[in-house]
Amino acid sequence: MTKSAPARTEAQTEIGPRSPGMTDRVLITGATSGIGLALANRLSQRARLLLTGRRPEDAVRSVLPAGAAYACADQTSPEAAVAAIEAALARLGWDGLDLAVLNAGTGFVGDPADEPAARLRATLDANLIAALLISRALYPRLASARGRLVLVGSTARRGAADFASYAASKAGLHGLARALAEEWRGRVEVRIVHPGPTATAMHAKAGHDPGRLGRLFAPPDTMAMLIERAAGSARPVTNLSFSRFAWRRAPGPR
Amino acid sequence: MKRALVTGATHGLGRTMVALLIERGYAVVAVDRVAAAGRNGVTDFVCDLADRDAVDRMLPRLIGTGPFDLVVFNAGVSATGRFEEVPAEAYRRLLTVNAETPMVMAAALMRAGAARGAMCFVSSLSHFTGYPGAAAYAASKDALAIYAISVRKPFARRGVSVTLACPGPLRTEHAARHAPDGADENLRLEPATAARLILDAALTGRRLVVPGRNARLFALAGRIRPQAVTRWMRRLVFERLGRAVW
Repeated sequence: MTKSAPARTEAQTEIGPRSPGMTDRVLITGATSGIGLALANRLSQRARLLLTGRRPEDAVRSVLPAGAAYACADQTSPEAAVAAIEAALARLGWDGLDLAVLNAGTGFVGDPADEPAARLRATLDANLIAALLISRALYPRLASARGRLVLVGSTARRGAADFASYAASKAGLHGLARALAEEWRGRVEVRIVHPGPTATAMHAKAGHDPGRLGRLFAPPDTMAMLIERAAGSARPVTNLSFSRFAWRRAPGPR
Repeated sequence: MKRALVTGATHGLGRTMVALLIERGYAVVAVDRVAAAGRNGVTDFVCDLADRDAVDRMLPRLIGTGPFDLVVFNAGVSATGRFEEVPAEAYRRLLTVNAETPMVMAAALMRAGAARGAMCFVSSLSHFTGYPGAAAYAASKDALAIYAISVRKPFARRGVSVTLACPGPLRTEHAARHAPDGADENLRLEPATAARLILDAALTGRRLVVPGRNARLFALAGRIRPQAVTRWMRRLVFERLGRAVW
């Protein structure tokens, strides 16, 4: 215990790195609700944003921070999502990218022995295959800006009986990130952050009722703050499980 | 007569498993992109496991040949090289064959009650380390490993044990094709040894099997010092890779 404390302060002073600045070009996927939207709101005063979601622009414009660009990219069709994001980047004239947060995700709760093939495929497509293909497509822009790629995983990546394919998809992201962090070292910084349970609409969408436990979930703003911090940390993997967020709250709007 | 289902049954580890199962008196249903010629006691299903429609068309017929006392999801492909140099289509194929199709097949077999006894998912020793030079492969095998761990209890409630197998490099054509220059073939395990260890573990319902002493040592090192082992993998694999192979 006593040993880990100094190590952490060291990592934090080392990072102070470049928190996103006004000139930075930032992509956040899945930014129309939940953690992605909270992150977009946090960064909107400090960076230029390209946000993505699966809904058409007129349906989401009112919730997005003013001035952010938007691309409709449904990750259940990974190849189409890649094309939409590349088109939007070209339209903005961004030949480099300083930060990409691949946060979009979907999941369903249920007995894995009853999971329909279509759901399984949608989960893997949106969470893993799309994120992998987007990472691949972003490489030239990230490399030219010496940018940073942040993948948003889940603490479920170690296994979960009630959402097996979701857990599998997030474990896949973890495997991708730990390989890429080493492969791209010195060219693009790669981080993976695994948020614990967060109070977003995802649980309802997934058919999951956390009941009274839901009161213990992290507020999206708090989780976004911790993800932003982890993205700047020197460690490639950060787990934001309950013990990391239980006593923290993001400061109110500035 | 006991029945077994093996995917990726024509080459390498799968082929050896089929031979061993026949020796032990199993009737084997083998799924592969190409059928192996002249094997008695084997029913071949020819299917490209990267093709969703083909998998969906095959499943009802496959279920019709069950129920299976043992199911081994062994089929896998790799892609090695700098991550950004391998075409997107190759990654799509890889993730479908290695992760999506075995999950889809497992769920379909369970739903139909066509699996009884044991089920085994063949992942990789890479589950215990980072694998620079094969990032998509590593992602697919991590996904499959965690799927196996996730379904262990729910499937056990329906009477099916789930075993996760994480073999290291084997002396197979597949490994030779993707190995970095100058890799020592003597360090690779004989497929027959790996097949026996994996089948024994699956048939006794063990949770995890890492066949071979070297592989177990490596897995232990990866668990204790993940980042150091991943750096070592960079020197051992990534920095020695020639052109991308998929």
